[in-house]
Amino acid sequence: MFSLKIWGDRGSMPTPGPDTVLFGGNTSCLEIRADGRLVIVDAGSGIRQLGDSLMRTDLKNGPIDTDIFISHTHWDHIMGFPMFTPIYVPGTKLRIRGPITYEDETLETVIGSQLSYRYWPVRQDELAAKIEYEQIKESTYDLGGGLSLTSKYLNHPILCLGYRFEYRGRSIVTVYDHEPFRNVFPTDPADPSYDAEAAKEGDLAAREENEKILHFVEGADLVIHDAQYTAKEYTGSKIGWGHSSYETAINAAHRARAKRLLLFHHDPNRSDAELQELELFYQGKVGGKTGLLVEMAREGSTYIVES
Amino acid sequence: MASLPVTVSKVLEVCNNPKTSPIDLDRVISLDPVLMGRVLKLINSAYYGLGTQVTSLVRAIIMLGVNTVKNLALSTAVIDRFSSRKGFSAINMDGFWRHSLCVGVTSKLIARQRGVDPKNVEEYFAAGLLHDIGKIPMNDALAEDYVRAVSTADRDRIPLHLAERKVLGLDHSVAGAAVAKAWRLEGAISDAIVFHHALADYEGEHWEVLFTVAVGNYFAGREGIGFSGNLYPEKLPPDVFDRLGIQKGLLENLEGPVNEEIEKAKVFLRQPK
Repeated sequence: MFSLKIWGDRGSMPTPGPDTVLFGGNTSCLEIRADGRLVIVDAGSGIRQLGDSLMRTDLKNGPIDTDIFISHTHWDHIMGFPMFTPIYVPGTKLRIRGPITYEDETLETVIGSQLSYRYWPVRQDELAAKIEYEQIKESTYDLGGGLSLTSKYLNHPILCLGYRFEYRGRSIVTVYDHEPFRNVFPTDPADPSYDAEAAKEGDLAAREENEKILHFVEGADLVIHDAQYTAKEYTGSKIGWGHSSYETAINAAHRARAKRLLLFHHDPNRSDAELQELELFYQGKVGGKTGLLVEMAREGSTYIVES
Repeated sequence: MASLPVTVSKVLEVCNNPKTSPIDLDRVISLDPVLMGRVLKLINSAYYGLGTQVTSLVRAIIMLGVNTVKNLALSTAVIDRFSSRKGFSAINMDGFWRHSLCVGVTSKLIARQRGVDPKNVEEYFAAGLLHDIGKIPMNDALAEDYVRAVSTADRDRIPLHLAERKVLGLDHSVAGAAVAKAWRLEGAISDAIVFHHALADYEGEHWEVLFTVAVGNYFAGREGIGFSGNLYPEKLPPDVFDRLGIQKGLLENLEGPVNEEIEKAKVFLRQPK
C-alpha cells in the first residue's frame, strides 16, 4: 500500500477553535506509508498527534525508526517537534533531513534548539531517541524498500524543498511552501532602475525554473500544493510572500497531468465555511473539463495512492 | 583574499537594508570581481547541489531569492572586513576595479551586438569582470615582488604577464587558475581567467567568450580605462575579430556606452540612497 495521511494542513500558525474543525487547525505534517515503510514530512503542530498514533500502533512492533523530511525551517513546519513523543522513547531512531538557508547554523541547531531550557523543559541532549540530522539539497535519494525520493528547490523566502516520493510506479509530490518563480527585476523601461539585460534574463530564468517545477510534478498521482490565497488576494497584496493561489495550484497540477490535487497550507484566517465554499467553487470550475480531482486538504484524512 | 574596499561598505549598506531591491543587489555584487567570484562559487558549490552551473547573478537571485543571495554577499563581505589585508600595493585598487569592470561591460556589449543568446550574456560579463582575478592573490601574498614585476613590465616595455614570469616565475593566469579552482568556477569564466593571454593555445569550447574578453581587455588598455599594471599588452592575434564575426570598428562605438556603464556604477557605489 502507498498512502498519505494528513496530520496538519494549516499555514503559518495553529488555529484551534470551532471554525476549523472540518479542515483542521494544525500546521504541516504528513505521514506517508509505503507498505512497511514510514516517512514523515514536516514537524508542524500536527506531528504531536502523529507521534501519539505511532505510540499506539507502531511501537508494539518494535522501536520507531523513521525519516522526517522538513520542507524548510520556518516555524510552522518545525514547531511540533518537541511534542513528538517518540523522541522521549529509548530505541527510537530518527533521521531528520531538510534544507538550510545559507547561514552558520546547522539543521540540528535550527530544529533542535527548540529543545533548550529557555523554550522547553527538556534539552535536546537529554532525549532518549537517537537522532541524526542531515542537510539535504536538490537530489535523488533511494530510501530503501523500493521507495525513492527526488527533492526540488521551490520558491519561498528561505531555501525550501518539495519532495517527490515514488513507490511501485506511483508518486506523491509536495509543492509547498511555494509561489511560482517570477521575474523580480523591473521590466518597464520607464522604471528608473530598469536594466534591459536583467529584465530579459530574469524573464527567462523565471520561465525555466517554472518549467522545472512542472517537470517535477509531471504525472503525479497525488499532489499536495500550496494554496493559501485566492488569485485576488495573491495579486492584491501577497506577491513575494512565498505562497500560491488556488488558481495557480490547480493550473500547475492540470498542466503537469497530475491525477489528484490537495489544496494545502490553508490560510489561518480561513474558516471551515469559507474553505467549503471555495472547494465547491473550484470543483465547479474544473468539473468536466479535466480528469484532475481537486479538493481541500482535510486534517485526519487518508489518501490511498495504491492499495 | 580581500574584496575591493570601494564596494565593501556599499555591500553592507545594501545587504543590511531589508528593502533592498533585486536590481540593487545584482549591481552591488556585480561591481566587485572578488565578491562576484565568491558569490558564484557559493551558489555553484555542493551547498546547493544545483544541477546546472549558474553563471548569472540575475538567475541566482530568481532561483534562490534575494535573501539568500544577500546573505551570501553579506557573509563574504563581512569575512573580508575582519581578515587581514595588506592592501593592493603594486596596482591601485580603484584602477584595477575600473579595468575589470570595463572588460566585463565591454564583453557584455560585444556579446549583445553579436546577437548572443540573452541567457548567456551575463556569463560574458562575469568572465570579463573576473579575467584578471589572479593578480589579487599575487599582489596580496607577494606584494614586494609584485611591485617589481609591474615596474619590470614598465621598464622593459613588455606585457605584464611576461614580467610576472620573469620576476616571480609564474603569471596571473596560473594564479588565476588556482583561484578558479578554489572558487569552483568552471567553463567559460575559468577559461577566460586562464587563457586570456594564450588565445592561440586554446582548444576548448568556450572560445567565443574567451576571445570576446580578450577584445574587451584590448579595448580597456587602448582606451586607458582603469589600470591593471599592463601598459604594454601583447597584440591580439589578427584572426580574433574575424572569428567573432565583428569589425574592429565596432569598438569605436563602445566607448560611450562603456563609460556610461562605469559612471552608473560609480554613482551607485558612492551616492547614499
